[in-house]
Amino acid sequence: MYDADHNRTESRVSQNEIKISSRNVQVYYGDNHAIKDVDVDIEDRLVTAFIGPSGCGKSTFLRCLNRMNDTIPICRVEGDIHIDGEDIYDKRVDPVQLRAKVGMVFQKPNPFPKSIYDNVAYGPKIHGLAKNKSELDDIVERALKRAAIWDEVKDRLDASGTGLSGGQQQRLCIARAVATEPEVLLMDEPCSALDPIATGQVEELIDELKQNYSVVIVTHSMQQAARVSQKTAFFHLGNLVEYGETEKIFTNPQDSRTESYITGRIG
Amino acid sequence: MTTSLLVLIVLALGVGGYIVGRARALRGVGGDQRKLHSLPSYYGTNVAMKAIVPALLVMLVWLLAQPLVVESSVRGDLQEESVRQDRSVSLMMSDVRRLANGLDVAVESGMMTRERAANMRTEFTDVRERLGEAGVALGSAVTSPVLRAAQKYRALSETGDLLRTGIVLALAVAGLGWGIRNSTPEYRARNVVETGVRILLILASCIAILTTVGIVLSLVFNTIEFFRIYPASDFFFSTTWSPSFGGGSELGILPLLWGTLYISLIALIVAVPVGLFTAIYLSEYASKRVRSVAKPAIEILAGIPTIVYGLFALLTIGPLLLSVFGDSTVGWMDAGTAVMTAGIAMGIMLIPFVSSLSDDIINAVPQAMRDGSYGLGATQSETIKQVILPAALPGIVGAVLLAASRAIGETMIVVLGAGAAARLSLNPFEAMTTVTAKIVSQLTGDSDFGSPEALVAFALGMTLFVVTLGLNVLALYIVRKYREQYE
Repeated sequence: MYDADHNRTESRVSQNEIKISSRNVQVYYGDNHAIKDVDVDIEDRLVTAFIGPSGCGKSTFLRCLNRMNDTIPICRVEGDIHIDGEDIYDKRVDPVQLRAKVGMVFQKPNPFPKSIYDNVAYGPKIHGLAKNKSELDDIVERALKRAAIWDEVKDRLDASGTGLSGGQQQRLCIARAVATEPEVLLMDEPCSALDPIATGQVEELIDELKQNYSVVIVTHSMQQAARVSQKTAFFHLGNLVEYGETEKIFTNPQDSRTESYITGRIG
Repeated sequence: MTTSLLVLIVLALGVGGYIVGRARALRGVGGDQRKLHSLPSYYGTNVAMKAIVPALLVMLVWLLAQPLVVESSVRGDLQEESVRQDRSVSLMMSDVRRLANGLDVAVESGMMTRERAANMRTEFTDVRERLGEAGVALGSAVTSPVLRAAQKYRALSETGDLLRTGIVLALAVAGLGWGIRNSTPEYRARNVVETGVRILLILASCIAILTTVGIVLSLVFNTIEFFRIYPASDFFFSTTWSPSFGGGSELGILPLLWGTLYISLIALIVAVPVGLFTAIYLSEYASKRVRSVAKPAIEILAGIPTIVYGLFALLTIGPLLLSVFGDSTVGWMDAGTAVMTAGIAMGIMLIPFVSSLSDDIINAVPQAMRDGSYGLGATQSETIKQVILPAALPGIVGAVLLAASRAIGETMIVVLGAGAAARLSLNPFEAMTTVTAKIVSQLTGDSDFGSPEALVAFALGMTLFVVTLGLNVLALYIVRKYREQYE
């Protein structure tokens, strides 16, 4: 935890550049207005947490950032979302390319019913990141190492990914996501299906990942948000209520709704 | 008393028992149903069950057993008579039965008193003429032993009927009394009814299983009979199928088995890609509206009787193939009936099988798999090819094997589309025939049932049964072995 604190101070000193900026974002599920007027600037190379009660729209907003909502027929997104200054909802942007750049880890570990190796190699293969087998081997090894699971699986890369424990599966999914060399990593409650030990491992991992990526994590656990993130956004009923330094949100919230939520009075 | 009246009485006793049992249980607690062990209706059901079930069971068994007992008793009497007359006992038995029935009719219509029917003698009365007046036609003059046997038959049946009625009624009343006595507040009627329900369910499944066993046994005995008069090695390894009812036929299964497998193979080559691609489109690409129209429309194909597919093969596919591959062009095909014709028609028939089953299986692949793949930047077809199909593969293989066993068992399309010649050939444009089609033709002739030419049908049926059973077991094994992978 010292490391985390250290990094946090550092990141505050050297203002990071803006990686993702959203303006006036609205999301509708059919007639249901799920996200209202969300403006947020997400910085590079740090962890941003989205917190809020169930159904407040934090996961929906997260899924806007890599256009995963496109796969839901009734979902409609309005407003501007820019990554590195580029409008990702522009007609010329291929959502498939975008998702290679903005990786995602899901709530429930969802390894494919393939070998551990093939799970990690899946992304690099479909994007043609490796010229030959040995390069692919290197990518897989690097991804598994970065996801802190290499030592546990290096002797059984041919075993099925579904045979791992829950925490290992989730780290495998993280390895799978980082193998495509994304610039942003979206995590939708990555620890909600894990036990405390596995949660600890994944949190440690998130802390390391922010050296290279901009990480956005949705979580229900305020302790987790406080532990891993440098910036926190609080969502309530589809509105972004408050966004700022994690420490400030948890110690000195500006909005009364934020205070009610973090003290457990609403949620 | 007729059987239906008896059943009605037992059922009425049951209904009465229900009301009495329920009332008695309630009376035991002064009308406060919370003090009962079970709900009042359980006490009623308990009484009704005890009154009805044993009585009807005994009746059923008795009804099945009585004719057997009576026949064997009468048959024993006819034994020496049959030797004297040089007629087979079973022929005489059918005379006896007919005569006994005739006497029943005569008594019922009032032409004859019961005593007269029981005491008539051929020496004094022309039985045939008397029965003729009553509207019962008998084939030949009635001999004295046959008449005596028929009279004994009637007497025994009558005693049996009387005894049966008495015992069944006694059982029903006894069960009723037992049940009512049980209807005290402490009695665990709910648990007893639960046991009753369980036994009912077990019986139902036993009937299903026993029927299957019965079917197999009837095949097995006739197959054994066949192999007693025809060498098994010739049947399994001979390459000629030429039955001749005059004797000296060659009954090799190989050409038929080859025809079956060849036609099934072509059917699967047609059905599997089309069905699978349809399933993928329906489950992954189609919008809800398209799906709600297209899926039922495809399943209509499954509802078409196979004879209609046969006609389609005969009238449309055959001539079409002939115009493409016939003498006027490449000359591979001589007539419309061919392996190809039947195979294509059968393939069309199997499309809904493959597509419907595969569609269900593809839908069962968790959404999380798709999300995971899209989240990595895969396109839809990459996701389908690399994630969804591998995950669904065991189920799809199972679906294909089920379709294959359907194809192997198919008859009508083959009869109409593939011709009747048993032939070992590689040319798919030649006429061939299958095991099922030959079973039909061997059994529909007027040949002696004991001849190898007729009995071979059972051996063919048995072989087919073993093949499809093997396929089904294999399908189940594959589905089960790989299913838990993504759960």
